[in-house]
Amino acid sequence: MQEKQTVLTISHLNKRFGTQEVLSDISFDIAAGDVTCIIGASGSGKSTLLRCINFLEEPSGGQILFHGKDAESGWRRAEYQSKVGMVFQSFNLFSNMTVLENCVCGQMKVLKRDRKTATAKSIFYLDKVGMAPYQNARPAQLSGGQKQRVAIARALAMDPEVLLFDEPTSALDPEMVGEVLSVMRDLATGGLTMLIVTHEMSFARDVCNRVIFMDQGLIAEDGAPSEIFTKPKQARTREFLSRVLDR
Amino acid sequence: MQLPSTFFGWVGFLLEKYGNLFLLGTGMTLLISLTGTVIGFLIGLLVATLRTIPTTRRTPLPYKVLKNILNVLLNIYIEVFRGTPMIVQAMVIYYGAMQAGLIGRGTPVPVVAIFIVSINTGAYMAEIIRGGIISVDKGQKEAAQAIGMTHWQSMLNVVLPQAVRNIMPSIGNEFVVNIKDSSVLNVIAVSELFFMSKSAAGAYLRYFEVFAITAVIYLILTFTVTRILRLIERKMDGKATYTILGSQTDSQSAITIHPENREG
Repeated sequence: MQEKQTVLTISHLNKRFGTQEVLSDISFDIAAGDVTCIIGASGSGKSTLLRCINFLEEPSGGQILFHGKDAESGWRRAEYQSKVGMVFQSFNLFSNMTVLENCVCGQMKVLKRDRKTATAKSIFYLDKVGMAPYQNARPAQLSGGQKQRVAIARALAMDPEVLLFDEPTSALDPEMVGEVLSVMRDLATGGLTMLIVTHEMSFARDVCNRVIFMDQGLIAEDGAPSEIFTKPKQARTREFLSRVLDR
Repeated sequence: MQLPSTFFGWVGFLLEKYGNLFLLGTGMTLLISLTGTVIGFLIGLLVATLRTIPTTRRTPLPYKVLKNILNVLLNIYIEVFRGTPMIVQAMVIYYGAMQAGLIGRGTPVPVVAIFIVSINTGAYMAEIIRGGIISVDKGQKEAAQAIGMTHWQSMLNVVLPQAVRNIMPSIGNEFVVNIKDSSVLNVIAVSELFFMSKSAAGAYLRYFEVFAITAVIYLILTFTVTRILRLIERKMDGKATYTILGSQTDSQSAITIHPENREG
């Protein structure tokens, strides 16, 4: 197997809220094309980790390297954030814009694309997630699953190198989870580098090529899904998995 | 000349004689309050955006200090102009500027009046817009940030449009207040509606009749403005319907959806 290029390096990342340490000494690499799932109990720091990687939260210590350069001093913040996209649990579509404008706005303002290019790109990705027919609708007129698919198209339209997913299906009604997961499955097959915080264990097992289990702000276990799900090394991983898999 | 003897007789007589004065005064009142509200609104937007500039752990110290000084200055501005009556502000600014030689006898008073109303409104607007920004879900700003927008870009394109929609009723309130309260500017002899009414009343000493007319004019102004703002609000909500494009090329396949209850 040939060596894959490292895109993102998280090194000794720390995050404290006041005196409470939420993330302690997190280190791992993300290679191009990796589909990594982060699993763990609520409050284990999964979402905070993702938010630190996109700088929605300021890390308290440690370093993030993007293509070998420090993400804070080596990259302009806006440039870094446009290359490391984010999909939220609560979608966060711009509610003052239509579906199409949601996808066009960032491309024009951040990437300085002209409207024609940005529109063509938006429609391409909206089509990919099956939302092109709804381009003139407003977010308030869509279902949760539709909103999340638009949010994914909006992130993709920025041509990110890495896409972070923060529990993308947790706010959805059960019957809408499938449509979003199937879009994400297509993206994974297409070779997009993804880092996904999720509670969908079957998705983590089938789609990801790497699973990180977090517990109390630490990476407890990190490996291929086949290892983590069938023969976890740590007792706490076993304990967590038996709780979530036996439902 | 035979002078009228009834209330309506006087009203008709005064309108005929001083109609021009009322019209000019009304025009001036509208000009001052509209321009003052618009400029005040822009000041408010600027102040609110400046006050919400984020700092990170990598922000250089001098920049942080500068930002803190700026915040203190902006807070002083808001406290002073919200904490003193506009009539006093008008006296202090007008005569102060005169003494300092910033304005002279030749300076048009309406310009001074607009200046006063603008910075007074700006102080209120800054707080109203701050409230509006708080009312916008935090996720909106985060999503804008997450695709690489700067503070100014995300404020301008995402947060403020929604904040402004939410505070439209308060902005309308400010405009209505300005229409009425610009009357205090008669103390610096601006030819607005109240000042003109005083002149008209003085000639025949018919204060009751003249100011009854004035009251009706103010009421018509504020009522009309309120209705127009309501229309603008409805426009800002966007279309209640949307079209599903069945095919990019065939417009016949489009389906228009009329959702029965929508948010916002």
